[in-house]
Amino acid sequence: MTPWPALQAVVAARHPAIVAVAALYFVGVAAIAVWATRRTHNASDYFAAGSGVGIVTLAVAAMASTLSGFAFIGGPGLVYSVGTGAVFIVLSAAVTSTMGAWVLAKRLRLLREARGLFTIPDAIGARFASPAAQGLSAVAILVAIIGYMATNFLALGLVIDALFATGLGPAVWIAMLVTLSYTLTGGMLAGVYTDLFEGLVKTAASVTVFVYVLHTGGGVAAISRAIMAVDATFLGPWGTMSAQAALSLFFVFALGSLGQPHVLHKFYMLRDPRRLKWYPLIMSVAMAMTLLLFVGVGMAVRALVADGRLAPLARPDDATATFVLGFTPSVVAGIVFAGVIAAGMSTVNSFMNIGAAALTHDLPLAFGRRVGDELRWGRRWTLVLSVAAAAVAHASHTLVAFLGIFGYGLFAAALVPSLAIGLNWKGATREAAVASIATGLVLTLGIESCVYFRLLSLPAGVSTSGLSLIVSLLVFFGVSWVTRARAAGQLAEDVAVVMDV
Amino acid sequence: MITRLALSALLVSCLCIGGAYALAFTAGGAPPWAAWALAIGAPAALAAVMLLGAARRGRVAPAVAWAIGLTFGVLVLSFGAALLLPAAEGPGGRLLLGLPLRTAIVLYGVGLVPLLFLPWAYAASFDDATLTEADLERVRRAAGPTP
Repeated sequence: MTPWPALQAVVAARHPAIVAVAALYFVGVAAIAVWATRRTHNASDYFAAGSGVGIVTLAVAAMASTLSGFAFIGGPGLVYSVGTGAVFIVLSAAVTSTMGAWVLAKRLRLLREARGLFTIPDAIGARFASPAAQGLSAVAILVAIIGYMATNFLALGLVIDALFATGLGPAVWIAMLVTLSYTLTGGMLAGVYTDLFEGLVKTAASVTVFVYVLHTGGGVAAISRAIMAVDATFLGPWGTMSAQAALSLFFVFALGSLGQPHVLHKFYMLRDPRRLKWYPLIMSVAMAMTLLLFVGVGMAVRALVADGRLAPLARPDDATATFVLGFTPSVVAGIVFAGVIAAGMSTVNSFMNIGAAALTHDLPLAFGRRVGDELRWGRRWTLVLSVAAAAVAHASHTLVAFLGIFGYGLFAAALVPSLAIGLNWKGATREAAVASIATGLVLTLGIESCVYFRLLSLPAGVSTSGLSLIVSLLVFFGVSWVTRARAAGQLAEDVAVVMDV
Repeated sequence: MITRLALSALLVSCLCIGGAYALAFTAGGAPPWAAWALAIGAPAALAAVMLLGAARRGRVAPAVAWAIGLTFGVLVLSFGAALLLPAAEGPGGRLLLGLPLRTAIVLYGVGLVPLLFLPWAYAASFDDATLTEADLERVRRAAGPTP
């Protein structure tokens, strides 16, 4: 990834308003951090916000963590390049919130009620009474988050560099330091309330830009007609992708949503479990509003290019920046750039937290040990992980590109079977959990490495994530069946009660 | 009963999708009907997982069962229509709510229609069929060791 010279020049010309809005955003984040720091006293506060969060905060924060910077930059860029097919990444949003509520929200929150759990590997360890499963899932999480964090630091660095002309290298470290400062001091309490603030910024940015999309393009029908006049496939149901490839994206991102620890661990934070009643509705509406930019900008820019009102983009990822700088007022552009920063920071903050929890809590427990002062060690590991990820982002963009590829798929393949199926099926066994997590981890890393280094090419319509998820699920079913005689003896009484209600 | 049905449906869906992937590795690539395996398998997998999560002691509230069934139907019909209807996304193609017909069916059908009933069905059934005060008390009484 290289700096955005064109973007820097345009931003510089309209500097004051855009920079002022972005600066205001940082002031808001700092105020929340100071407030949360005064309320963070122990590991439960640091890793799970002390289970004191309301349902609206939880739902908006979960949305903010789900939609990273990709939703504002990479996603619209992908829509601009492959058309409707790219929308299949987010098409399941109308279903996934309710699915997540039925399958995991209640179970995870009740496990916290019964056992005081605060990490996702905790839940896997408790369900199967298995330190090995807990440790292995923590390893999968750690492998995935370094890449995720590095990718987001680099994306944040690009925006900060464009806004403040700091140079890309320093911008990456500034991004890391700002996110680290509130995560380190206020932990998840700061994280969840900055997520709320960032979620509201993202939603405001998305809805506002969508209004400008409709205004600039002359409405949805006019945008469609402009594109259809020059390209008959772009607005087809699968865009320029094959039907199988688009449907495979839908499957992976829909079912894979049940394995995203940075979103799921927020269920532990809810004050009153019975407020979950409204989670799907609030989360679904927030997601739908925030995804308007994802879908709208890529199509609008494509229509503007088709109409000759805009030159073809040098890079698809320039779609959002080109549109907001060329067709919206400076203040709106400022809100969108603040939204991009918010998207990256809210996602990274969650990863910092779950990564630190894996190192402080889950891995020691897997080896039968317990860290004395989890709050202090949590903060130390947060610092170490953040520096490591920023160093990767600073040192090697190639490595970032490689590591950034497999995060979502790795979470899905490693965690969905043991977590989503395991917490709802008493016949699942410890052996199956360990086997499926190992399968997901090894397959995703192995296939993705072979593809990246060109030792293997997957046929059209097959993705590493989809393949690994399916194999991992089949391994989970197969091993559970083979070892089914052991299932009953592996279920603790309190966990069985949680699974019954 | 419901749990077994959901698990069986999930397993069959995984085998369908896995089969479609496997066929893509054969010489000549996946046959056209492999897309149908995904168009039916993916919604079936989601419906099965929802059913598994919503089931309590092997039973599901009728409103929940209807909502999940309807979601499955809407998704399969939308994807199926996109696969079956003739392509007409060129100049002069017919629009529905601003988008080409097949695209509108998929984007509005899959992306918006479930929003109209699925979260509402969850909320409507929550107090009786998902989590009661008595359930919560039962979990608290059974509380085990903290990690």
